[in-house]
Amino acid sequence: MFLIVVVSYILSIPFDTQPSPEVQKAFDYIENLPESSVILFSFDHEASSLPEIKPITLALLRHAFRSKAKVVGLSLFAEGTAIGYRMMTKAADEFGLKYGRDYVFLGFKPQHISAILGIGESITRVFPEDYLGNKTDTIPIMRGINNYDDIDMVITIADGDRPAQWIEYGGARYNQQIMAGLTAAMITSYDPYLASGQLYAVVGGLKGAAEYENLYGKRGGGNRGMLAQTSAHFYVIALIIIGNIIYFRGRKQQGRG
Amino acid sequence: MDFGTLIAGILTLAIYTFLYKDNPIYRIAESWLIGLSIGYTLVIFWQTTLVDNLFNPLFGDGKLVMILPLILGLLMFSRFSKKISWMSRIPIAFMIGAGAGVAIPAMLYARTLKQVSASVVPLLGEKGAFNFEALVVVVGLLSTLAYFYFSREHKGIMGKAARLGTYFLMIFFGTTFGYTVMSRMSTFIGRIDFLLTDFLHVIK
Repeated sequence: MFLIVVVSYILSIPFDTQPSPEVQKAFDYIENLPESSVILFSFDHEASSLPEIKPITLALLRHAFRSKAKVVGLSLFAEGTAIGYRMMTKAADEFGLKYGRDYVFLGFKPQHISAILGIGESITRVFPEDYLGNKTDTIPIMRGINNYDDIDMVITIADGDRPAQWIEYGGARYNQQIMAGLTAAMITSYDPYLASGQLYAVVGGLKGAAEYENLYGKRGGGNRGMLAQTSAHFYVIALIIIGNIIYFRGRKQQGRG
Repeated sequence: MDFGTLIAGILTLAIYTFLYKDNPIYRIAESWLIGLSIGYTLVIFWQTTLVDNLFNPLFGDGKLVMILPLILGLLMFSRFSKKISWMSRIPIAFMIGAGAGVAIPAMLYARTLKQVSASVVPLLGEKGAFNFEALVVVVGLLSTLAYFYFSREHKGIMGKAARLGTYFLMIFFGTTFGYTVMSRMSTFIGRIDFLLTDFLHVIK
């Protein structure tokens, strides 16, 4: 497995992926956003999910910045704080954007349910200071952003149950539209929310990231990993088939014996 | 190469030495990971919970009302003494009461009512076209519920429905497992990406 992944990764052959309807919907939403729309990114994940989360986040952030959206970042998971800030500044630097004017990172807030509910009343009351210690109400980008009424979309980047809380408290109570960037392991857990329309769209796993990168037009970590992932999957499928053949042949021979 | 990348690369390789067998290098890296995660989380919580939400408003801004959560918080530590441990029930009761009050309506709406309404879909779509997906949802929902209905013996039609329900459950478990394998594979690929690109510079 190690060799298959490394070799197919080094080969780095471009791998074409067709966008799934959910990814297409997420892309279309950001693509058609009017200028200066507000997108709130919530980095609700652990550091261990970074390999999968990073390509999804960068693809979404780049697209949001290219669409000239105002991006507000925060974290409801302690480990996502520094990672979120680094990814935001990395994506913003590629577009020459200025902190405080084009984007802001508000940092981490414990008691995530209180934080999600509190943003519905006043975002500056929940986050009196940003990640860098500036008074939130003095930051230029925050003028006119008071609560969910001023936020067009919440994008939660998560590897656990935070999107459910965004849906239950931000979505159900304040009618806030919510999108999610999820690790592949979490996709089936959120399918019911997607089907019921409580989640607007989902960009899931490395495959979702690759699809989004293709739509965006800039290949990144998602695309680089797709050949390796596909090769690894074929390897697993081959092992399952071989294992089953051996098992059934063994059973047949036992039956004869 | 910056210092952070060097440390991350060495620690990644140290963790992968476990593929050979359990060894001290792996255990050192594992201990560092646990210690650093807890230390980082502790510092973040100290600052954002105690300093920002309690010490600054109470001692900096003079908001005396913050004495109440301070007292409630301190009462939690009464659990360490058998004589006064009953006092810890006060903040616990407060948390459960407030938590349930906030959570029950939200969860009932988002997890139950919205999901039920999304499951009840017409079998005939626009212009009278048959909606096959809706049929799968209805059959899947009813048969899976039949499997979890234990007030009647699973015999006859009930037994057949419950059996069909197990197939739907198996499909769900299979899909979830497949996605989980995909997720773990992605994590591994991500680390290989880091090692080959940032650490070893084999790929640019």
